[in-house]
Amino acid sequence: MLRTIIAGLRARTARLVLSSVAIALGVAFVTGTLVLGDAMNASLRDEFAKGARNVDVSVTVSGDSSDVDGISPETLAAIRQAPGVAGADPRGSQAVPVLTANGKAKPAWAVSLPTNEKLREFDLADGRYPTSADEIAVDKRTAATAKLTIGQPVVLLGKEEKRHTYTLVGTYQQGTNTMSLSGYDHVGLTPEAFQALEPERPPYQVVATAAAGFTQQQVVDNVRKAIDAKAFTVQSGEELTQETLARVESQSGEFTALLLAFALIALVVAAMVIYNTFTILVAQRTRELALMRCVGASRGQVFRGVLAEALVMGLTASVIGLFGGIGVSALLQRVILSFGGAGEGVVYLPVSVTTVLAAFAVGTLVTVLAAVLPARKATRVAPVAALRSQPDSGEEVARTGVVRALTAVLFTVIGVGAVVFGMSMDDEDAAMVVSGAGTMALLAAVLVLGPLLVGPVNRVLGVLPRALFGVPAKLASANAGRNPKRTAATTAALMIGVTIVALVTVVANSAKETANAQIDERMPADYTVTSSVYDRPLPKELATQLAAVPEVAKVAPTTVVYGEREYLTGIPRDAIGDLFRPTVTSGSLADLVDGTVAVNADYVKRRNVSVGSMLTIRPEKGEEQQLKVVAVIEGQRLSDGVMTMETSQRFPQAAEGYDSILVKLKDGVANGRAAVERVTDPSPLALLDSAAETKEQLNQQLNQVLTFIWALIGLAVLIALFGIANTLTLSVLERTRESALLRALGLTRGQLRLMLVIESVLMALMGAAIGLLLGIGFGWVITEALSTDTISVDLIVPFGQIGVMLAGAVVAAVVAAALPARRAARTSVVAGMAEA
Amino acid sequence: MSALVSDVGTRTAVAAEDLVKVYGKGDTAVRALDGVSVTFQAGRFTAIMGPSGSGKSTLMHCLAGLDNVDGGKVHVGGTEITALGDKDLTKLRRDRVGFVFQAFNLLPTLTAEANILLGLELAGRKPDREWFDTIVDVLGLRDRLKHKPSELSGGQQQRVACARALVARPDVVFADEPTGNLDSRSGAEVLDFLRMSVRKLGQTVIMVTHDPVAASYADRVVLLADGRPAGEIDSPTTDSVLSALKHLGA
Repeated sequence: MLRTIIAGLRARTARLVLSSVAIALGVAFVTGTLVLGDAMNASLRDEFAKGARNVDVSVTVSGDSSDVDGISPETLAAIRQAPGVAGADPRGSQAVPVLTANGKAKPAWAVSLPTNEKLREFDLADGRYPTSADEIAVDKRTAATAKLTIGQPVVLLGKEEKRHTYTLVGTYQQGTNTMSLSGYDHVGLTPEAFQALEPERPPYQVVATAAAGFTQQQVVDNVRKAIDAKAFTVQSGEELTQETLARVESQSGEFTALLLAFALIALVVAAMVIYNTFTILVAQRTRELALMRCVGASRGQVFRGVLAEALVMGLTASVIGLFGGIGVSALLQRVILSFGGAGEGVVYLPVSVTTVLAAFAVGTLVTVLAAVLPARKATRVAPVAALRSQPDSGEEVARTGVVRALTAVLFTVIGVGAVVFGMSMDDEDAAMVVSGAGTMALLAAVLVLGPLLVGPVNRVLGVLPRALFGVPAKLASANAGRNPKRTAATTAALMIGVTIVALVTVVANSAKETANAQIDERMPADYTVTSSVYDRPLPKELATQLAAVPEVAKVAPTTVVYGEREYLTGIPRDAIGDLFRPTVTSGSLADLVDGTVAVNADYVKRRNVSVGSMLTIRPEKGEEQQLKVVAVIEGQRLSDGVMTMETSQRFPQAAEGYDSILVKLKDGVANGRAAVERVTDPSPLALLDSAAETKEQLNQQLNQVLTFIWALIGLAVLIALFGIANTLTLSVLERTRESALLRALGLTRGQLRLMLVIESVLMALMGAAIGLLLGIGFGWVITEALSTDTISVDLIVPFGQIGVMLAGAVVAAVVAAALPARRAARTSVVAGMAEA
Repeated sequence: MSALVSDVGTRTAVAAEDLVKVYGKGDTAVRALDGVSVTFQAGRFTAIMGPSGSGKSTLMHCLAGLDNVDGGKVHVGGTEITALGDKDLTKLRRDRVGFVFQAFNLLPTLTAEANILLGLELAGRKPDREWFDTIVDVLGLRDRLKHKPSELSGGQQQRVACARALVARPDVVFADEPTGNLDSRSGAEVLDFLRMSVRKLGQTVIMVTHDPVAASYADRVVLLADGRPAGEIDSPTTDSVLSALKHLGA
């Protein structure tokens, strides 16, 4: 039997290679996504673990003690002198803008670099760590993007725009983590220099490392004794690590969930392609298996033979796919790193047990299942009957089981229910999840119904080619529809891929358009001046200076007030109705005077207030204020509500400076931007935005995300197209005699090729068309679910991108048909007729 | 060859001149056809017979333009097909040649009617309705036209193939073991029809067979052995064919 199996494997190399590639691609996709997810986690863990490395004791200010707002130098000294402490350093980070070459501030994080080498969180890349207060180190990426070289001065913009100048002495490697991905620059200072940036704020955390011969617990106990244990939380390094890792889990959870979703899609798509390929393969071998039965092989022997063959193939392809997947993951990480601008981040390739198990489950288990089911069917027929049977004599044609119909109905009911329920929910996150799950149930319903849809869809899609290409198209259409189950299984993989791509594209574009519309509303002015550093307001003189520019017609500064559960905008009374034009649903903006507020419609719903009620605002700093609601407004997406500039000055936060300054130019002014820039350029904080620029920035970010998702799903689509090529190749082999007959009857080689190309295109279009319809429909569901009273996310169908997708599917289908078509056309009529 | 001379005066449908066909190369080369010259008259039913490996199927393939030759010429209805490229050969098959194969004659995706009209459609020609009806009625396929091949019996499938071969009024119909897969009753029906299509409808049929009974339906039998002509029988009977074959050592 073994010899027969090996001979069989050899004899059918071409077909086996095809199915092996299908398996390997599927496995590669699944492992690729899983490894990528693990890599993201590992890099985050590594980064956070760096923060806890060599830390034996961590002292932080205890939350319930209000008298101590930081760790004083005395406490630090006490910790350092505690028995067993080898070294202790304060830790802290704060946002401090760094000045770039053109004099503009850029947001950056400054950290205090420990003096004790063992406690350093970063790995030195070049130069050395700063040793005196006038020295600075920056991370590698910051050095690259800001074009800083060692020895150059670096300027940080402290409070009240005070400039601190340092000399760059070294660079360090941060690795890939959330902070480095945030795009913020990162600089490190000595503890003294760091403290000098904000002298009134003492450090929040001190970490210490133990001397040789002391256990962590001993040192923890000693430190506890040395300081006022009530005011501080003293943790062991172990506890700190646990705590940070727990934080990592929750931080990277969303991304992992996203990748898992992709892996799941990959799994389903790959399993479908493998299953389909193998089903066809074994179906074609029905006669061969029957012959073996006729010459004396027992049912069990034949069955075990098929099983062994599938096992060998599945295992081999799984191993290839596993390594391929690791390659895919490395490639994707490079892509992600290049988005972040970090030229040389670390590529992690952790291969977990789960990944390996998933790879072999997909590659081997699915293959074996896919081989065994049809083999069982094949061996159950009487050998002689199987020998006589012509392939494709109608036995494979789908019989619509009641089970199929019932399953589809069940999925539809669940799907529609979830979608309707999700849309009615107020919380948009939950609504999206519920509606999203509903759409996936509907997708499953369509998949189950697949074989039933093939007929009608094929007839509709076949109309145009039939009109254009005549007989070959008619034959192609008949071929595409001859085996609905096979066609459905082949196109289903593509359908899933296209559905997801279309869904994501529609939702992303809708979100983009909505955000753009929001920007238009937010920026009725020609320009908006904002601060380049988020917690640093603009100086008030800037508004006066801008108002003095001759080209400027009007200037309106805004302030922002953060309360406990809301944030409100302050705007001058005279700008209301001019540079600020919301829709009023109740009350009147004319009543918006000192001590009053106009709130947004969704805030009204959220907090259950109405015109006439009093709002209590508790700001972070300063005293709480009572404000009377005088109007409810809509279409104002700036904040939760609006008050006059005078009212906002009651809050110390808003009194510090302006959040933004709206600038309106005089009509017909040329070079208005240059005039405004003359004022904003000398100010390090002032950023001049026009609506167009803001939109562009936002679109760029969204496009990056979209590209990433397209790349991931692109892999699934690739596998699906390979599935089409596979099915087509196997069908061509199966139909060798039929092709020869057609050639004998007068079909030219070209027409035969055309026929196969059209068949391929029809299958691809079937998957793509249904996928697009579903994707757009689901996109509508999700945008509806995301819409709230104030923000309605409009459904934007990007016809351009969808056109590209359809065209891509057609081109890919033509490519997929190329090899099978060549093969079919090259077979001579006589040889083809002789084929059994 | 003397039999050919007596038929001078009728139109020649197909003629082969010194045909050579070699399979393989060097030591393993087999001369499947070794200088075959033969003429087939229009309006006659000719059977090509010979033992296994005599080259009868190869001869038919070469005569029909399905296979290329290594030497000699073939004329179909006055056209030298051995000089034609694949495109022109395809066109010739569409317009001037009909085929009936042993098995797998029909496209499983098309109905009987669509199968019958497939060749005409490929040629872009309108079917002659009257002729179509005649054939369909003679073959008794009227109530089977809307059926798919899988819903037809073997005999019915073969009759549909005959109808397809004749519907374009080709110069010649080639039949390759048309009864090989049929029981004797269905086989007789098909042979009856082929003979009638020659006698009553004026068609030309060339049939390859190894069955003396089938050959007895023909007007003339051309015998082949080892790739060479090995005699002919006019107005054959089962017995005369059998004894001729015995003589060949089959």
